[in-house]
Amino acid sequence: MQPLPKLGVGLAFQSPLKHLIEQPGDDLDCVEVVPDILWTDLGPGREPRYVDDPEGVAWLREIAAQRPVIAHGIGLSIGSASHFDRGHVRQLRRWHALLDFPWHSDHLAYHVADLDGTAVNVGITLPLPRDAATLDLLAPRIAEVMATVPVPFLLENNVYYFEIPDAEMDEPDFLNTLCRRCGCGLLLDLHNVYTNAVNHDFDARALVDAIDLSLVGEIHVAGGMTLDGTYLDAHSDTVPDPVWSLLEHVLPRCRNVGAVIFELFGSWFEVVGEARVRADLRRLRRLWETCHRPGPRAVGGRGSVLPA
Amino acid sequence: MSQAAFQSMMARLIVEPDFRDAVRRGDVPLRDDFEPRDRSRLLRIAADPGLDVNRTLFKGFRLGKLRSLLPLTCQLLEGLPLQRAVAAFWQSQPPTSFYFLPEAIEFCDHLLRTPTRSRYLREVAAFERARLELERAGVDDPLPQRVEFEHEPTVLLTALAEGRRPRAVPLRRCIVMGTRDAAGAIEWSLLDGQVSQA
Repeated sequence: MQPLPKLGVGLAFQSPLKHLIEQPGDDLDCVEVVPDILWTDLGPGREPRYVDDPEGVAWLREIAAQRPVIAHGIGLSIGSASHFDRGHVRQLRRWHALLDFPWHSDHLAYHVADLDGTAVNVGITLPLPRDAATLDLLAPRIAEVMATVPVPFLLENNVYYFEIPDAEMDEPDFLNTLCRRCGCGLLLDLHNVYTNAVNHDFDARALVDAIDLSLVGEIHVAGGMTLDGTYLDAHSDTVPDPVWSLLEHVLPRCRNVGAVIFELFGSWFEVVGEARVRADLRRLRRLWETCHRPGPRAVGGRGSVLPA
Repeated sequence: MSQAAFQSMMARLIVEPDFRDAVRRGDVPLRDDFEPRDRSRLLRIAADPGLDVNRTLFKGFRLGKLRSLLPLTCQLLEGLPLQRAVAAFWQSQPPTSFYFLPEAIEFCDHLLRTPTRSRYLREVAAFERARLELERAGVDDPLPQRVEFEHEPTVLLTALAEGRRPRAVPLRRCIVMGTRDAAGAIEWSLLDGQVSQA
């Protein structure tokens, strides 16, 4: 994995969190944004195909002048066997020119499939078989993303509510092989690991211990909820204790990690409350500073760039 | 079997509950070119209760998109009427389109051609449809959008935008015209006395 700047602790942008993000203070080092929610995709063949939300982009550029902004996409669907959307990748390159994000990421999953010859957006990240054939599918695409968008690229381990049976590899083996073969980094979503461990009854710590943590470029934490007996990656609460425990275990071992991001859906912000969100951000900050004492700050507010 | 065919089947198990149920019952013959492993995988996925979670998330995602693109219409229909309207829409047009803005426009069209007891629904749905048409035009030069109102539009739309249920909105037959300037901003103007009698 290419080296990443050490940014620190951040919050994933959602409109109801704007006020919190705008406030000056030390709780946040960086902001993560899902770029796809700030543009309208009019579909292939339209010129221009993507229409940016002018207010959203203006606001984000103001934020980017104060703190680094990281892009975390949801629209690439890099694992779709029947689609690879190069227009989407070019749009990411355009947004990199706008916001100068130091790295970007998306999900190790697919959400676009063909049904009766029509592309269907299922809207949720569906798991990929952990097979050699999947790696063969992903490798050239990851190479193309990395060649098009001139910053490091990370893929996030997926949450899954059903298993694809008879996998050729276990999850750590699959993630390690993917990153080493393709040169991308891993966005280790610890709440996804916890959610999967709860629903599929495995030891979350054993799983993260089997991952080569030098490949981790970013970490996500979040909270969730139980619905009808299934624990959901709902981003609906503060970080639960088992996820803190996982974070405390892995963060000192992730020597190349650039940021830890707290994800909370905006619709839950009022329920959770600003005080509890800030308390989690401060706890993240204390942990980060314990594990990754910052080096000299670079001009423009970027963190120091440490070698991998 | 190709990866694309496998993914297509997996997505169908989520999007089409009737298909999932038929696979669970063994009523759907899987294609002959399915490898034994892929066939086994699909049958076990179809039987996995986690699939129902995905179905719930899928519907929630689509509904969330409609809510974000049509906030006033969804506010007006909030509750059971919205659930019924969306269910009827998805029954007639399964929620499978790739692009959400066209789907929201189609939902407006569905509402506009469906009998309703809501006295404000046609005006609100037509207004939001017009806004989406202007957004869909991007930076092209879109045709002005004309919306006929039977009730005072400012009172009606303000109530909805503030999250209130509109009550006893004064009658006012008028036209609201929407245009989009070169910078992409949408502007609305109110014209009295030009309502067609059709």
